[in-house]
Amino acid sequence: MIRRGAHALAHLLTSLVLGPATFVWALLTTLVSGVLSFTYLAPPAFLLVTWMTRRIAGLERLRAALVLGRPVESPYSAPLRGNPWSRGRALVREPATWRDLAWLVLLFPAGLAGGLAGVLVGLVDLGTILAPVWLWAVPNPYLPPVVDWLFNTTGGRFVLTVIGLLLAPAVWWLVTTAARLQATAAAALLEPGPRQRLARRARELAVTRRRVVDAQAAELRRIERDLHDGAQARIVAAGMTLALAERKLRQTGQTAGADIGTARRQLDEALAELRRLVRGIHPPILTDRGLTAALAALAGDAPLPVEVRASELGDLPPAVESAAYFVAAEGLANAVKHAAAAACTITIERGGDTLSVAVHDDGRGGADATGSGLDGLRRRVEALDGTLSVTSPAGGPTTVRAELPCAL
Amino acid sequence: MRVVIAEDLLLLRDGLVRMLTDTGHDVVAAVASAPELERAVADQRPDVSIVDVRLPPGFRDEGLRAALAIRAREPRTPILILSQYVERVYAAELIADGQGAVGYLLKDRVTALDDFLDALERVAGGGTVMDPEVVRQLFARNTGDQGIAALTAREREVLGLVAQGLSNSAICAELVLAPASVEKHIGNILTKLDLPPSDDTHRRVRAVLAYLNQ
Repeated sequence: MIRRGAHALAHLLTSLVLGPATFVWALLTTLVSGVLSFTYLAPPAFLLVTWMTRRIAGLERLRAALVLGRPVESPYSAPLRGNPWSRGRALVREPATWRDLAWLVLLFPAGLAGGLAGVLVGLVDLGTILAPVWLWAVPNPYLPPVVDWLFNTTGGRFVLTVIGLLLAPAVWWLVTTAARLQATAAAALLEPGPRQRLARRARELAVTRRRVVDAQAAELRRIERDLHDGAQARIVAAGMTLALAERKLRQTGQTAGADIGTARRQLDEALAELRRLVRGIHPPILTDRGLTAALAALAGDAPLPVEVRASELGDLPPAVESAAYFVAAEGLANAVKHAAAAACTITIERGGDTLSVAVHDDGRGGADATGSGLDGLRRRVEALDGTLSVTSPAGGPTTVRAELPCAL
Repeated sequence: MRVVIAEDLLLLRDGLVRMLTDTGHDVVAAVASAPELERAVADQRPDVSIVDVRLPPGFRDEGLRAALAIRAREPRTPILILSQYVERVYAAELIADGQGAVGYLLKDRVTALDDFLDALERVAGGGTVMDPEVVRQLFARNTGDQGIAALTAREREVLGLVAQGLSNSAICAELVLAPASVEKHIGNILTKLDLPPSDDTHRRVRAVLAYLNQ
């Protein structure tokens, strides 16, 4: 209560001081830029001025954030490159540049109004509450009778304190509202506008999409290599062995039992290799019986006790299902391989349109969240607009957690 | 024959070595990378080299590049390229120098042992060997070609075998035809495709491949 009031009052006070200053800054810089715009000094001057303006606007964002109790994002697009001319042009085209300037001009009247309403009333009330402390030092002759008693006697001054305290809630409301109005106006101008929000979202999507495409391509290359070096090579080798056996039989009539045995073993290995590869692409049980059953199977195959806690998940998009499965599989594999865990829990639940899957192990922790396995998972999850978090302090425990939006 | 093998997968390298030694050939070097291959060929001067298209370090077409480099330095060095997949472009690069003594086969063909050994002999003898799959692709490319369209079904069959690098006698055996009729077919084909008549098998194969690759 008191803190919010104090914040609000401080905000209004600083606005009163800053308003004229920023107004003068905005006016001067605009004038200077305007005059210089006909000379070759325009771009560097404009860049410098904008850089300063953005620092001031940043300060304004901080002030607004304090009052609003939430962060106020900065709207600027990525740092600029190129020569001063092209950078200047980019700045001119950026709406944020002009919105900053608009606020710096507006802060003057807004600060004045808020200051008069809030600060005056606030300070008068504060003075009234503290009357016994200071009124005796200020002589007030020639006052009307009642006021004279209030001002010039100790008892009266204490009555003033009571009156001030009674008025305090109303004053508190006025001060905080004035400050909040100011901060809201500041945020409205200084935060990313709808156009920038869209542009930013589009940029994010472009980045995640590129990552998805890259991850997909890498995955296909991996599959091709695995087929080429694994199953295909084994099958060819088995064919060679059989060809030799056949030749022996045909030419010399000697037995070829050993060769045929070798060929059979090579073919078995090729099949095992293919099965492993297929499971890595998309586990068949996921297709046949859904996520919960696939996770139970995963837990059953693990070399350590794994508990699966799954609630009713309903219908899930196949991409989400498979991403959730691989988050669990990778988390489990890491727990076995790196964490030396004794037990592991896989929790999967759906809250509305979000599916969350978490793998928790009691191992030694210290997992590298940027490692290739976890990074691949992150891409896969981000591609679906989800998030992946890894908490793994040294000494454990480790939790890998993914939140996946799953609106069908 | 003295043979050099370049294949990065141990399983297949050993298989090839075993197959060749069991059939009375002498494997003088079995290596796993392109630089090793170039050294082995320079040191050993084998009768023929069997080279996998894909070799370390890049696992792309290092084997083919090494083969082309070796033949650029030392023309007519016999090389048989093995590939898991057929790439017409690779085959074309291989026969582009028109020197012969090259082959391009699918890896799976090694299991047809006798055919494979026969192909190896032909490459060592300066011939050109093309995988039937490559020839099939060449035909598919030339579907709209006037010359090919003018051929009869039988002539097209013969042309396919010529393109694979078979000699007249091998074509006779394959199609169960008399030598005279095979010669007649080939004469007709060369006329229809406007190719120079020739009794030299290698030169004829090159001419046909060049025609199909144009």
